[in-house]
Amino acid sequence: MNYVRVVALIFAKDFREELRRKENVISSLLFAFLSLVLFAFALDPTQVDLNRTGSGLLWLIILFAGSLFMGASFRKEMETGTLQALLLSPTDRSAIFLGKFLVNLVFLLFLEGLLLVFAYLLLDVQTGPVLVPLAVAWIAVTVGYAALGTLFSALIANVRGGQVIYPILLFPVLIPLVIAAATLTQDALAGRPVYTSQWLRLVALFDTLFVTASVFLFEYAVEE
Amino acid sequence: MSLRTWVRTLWGLAAVLNGAALAMIFFYAPVEIQMGAVQKIFYYHVPSAIAGYVLLFLAFLFSILYLWKDDPSYDLLAYTTAEVGFVFITVVLVTGPIWGRSAWGKWWVWEPRLTSALILWLMYSAYFLLRLFSRHEARAARIAAVVAIIAFFDVPIVHKAIEWWGSIVHPKKVVLEPPMRQTFFVAMIAVFTLAAALTLTRFMVGKAEERRQAQREATP
Repeated sequence: MNYVRVVALIFAKDFREELRRKENVISSLLFAFLSLVLFAFALDPTQVDLNRTGSGLLWLIILFAGSLFMGASFRKEMETGTLQALLLSPTDRSAIFLGKFLVNLVFLLFLEGLLLVFAYLLLDVQTGPVLVPLAVAWIAVTVGYAALGTLFSALIANVRGGQVIYPILLFPVLIPLVIAAATLTQDALAGRPVYTSQWLRLVALFDTLFVTASVFLFEYAVEE
Repeated sequence: MSLRTWVRTLWGLAAVLNGAALAMIFFYAPVEIQMGAVQKIFYYHVPSAIAGYVLLFLAFLFSILYLWKDDPSYDLLAYTTAEVGFVFITVVLVTGPIWGRSAWGKWWVWEPRLTSALILWLMYSAYFLLRLFSRHEARAARIAAVVAIIAFFDVPIVHKAIEWWGSIVHPKKVVLEPPMRQTFFVAMIAVFTLAAALTLTRFMVGKAEERRQAQREATP
């Protein structure tokens, strides 16, 4: 079997599993929605203009809800012995990583899309006119986020208290990405250029570095 | 000379050098005109930062060596250097605000270098937390090594991001009077000797723990 097909198969398996199990997807989406509602109460949207200050908050929600989803992505594999079987199969281990990474990436992008819709409906954050540059920025940021999220999820899968450590471990490393995401979102909403922004270049560097590093390090992360 | 003798000598040297450095800081180096006596924190603040970063860089190298060679000694070395490096970064984070209080009028300013040190400190807090939680896990050392490598690659990006984000900066170039330069030089050697003594002592403790563990497993 060629490499791309293995990645596609693992992606399809995980994707189907997440859809059928539902609990992981639903709990993360509900958590994100709940956070959005809570932010409305914390900030009072009649006083604060969220088009100018809301970008960082949206990214905090994505960070928390996304880590809730990704943190569990290897746990059930460990519990059911699926990961063991996958590791024993004669495939390149990086294919397992890439399959998982793609599932996480797709979910995060879906979550972000929904969040934008609800931010518009509930908090009147006007993203319609700037949707294309915004999408470019968010996809770029999400790639790096999903790569490290997947790698760290594999690391803590078998560790006692792993769910607790996961965000503590992941968030400090993501700080440059969060600053970039908040700034880029703010720039996009204000109609400032996004494609030529130095922040987008920083995100590109982050993505390249950590997708490569994760593919290499994944093997060590799961090896017994 | 055995490692033990080496470490003893190093501790003696560290005591003498740090005594000399302190004496020079308080009695030899002149008081800085603008900042006053508080500026003297500089003589320990900056060497601690450099020592901290050097040790964390070593932790990164030992982590790579561990994944590559699979030798538990490298894991212990990585852990040791990370731990002592963490202590020195903590020193930076404590002395920085004390200095900043009189230089900038606030305990904490979101200044690039100080903020980068804080984020690094957070990353390594998580690293030790992970070590604590995973100590009964067979892959514990590998997990920690992967985290240390990722954290190291992140440092320059964090620094760049914080620099763009923040505005207040450290002075780019510091001009030092000769007595200040001499004091700084002595303090630098003193801090590095102390760092070496701490690291080697911690390494010996780690080795002793390993022996004890092995004995425990050997006795029925």
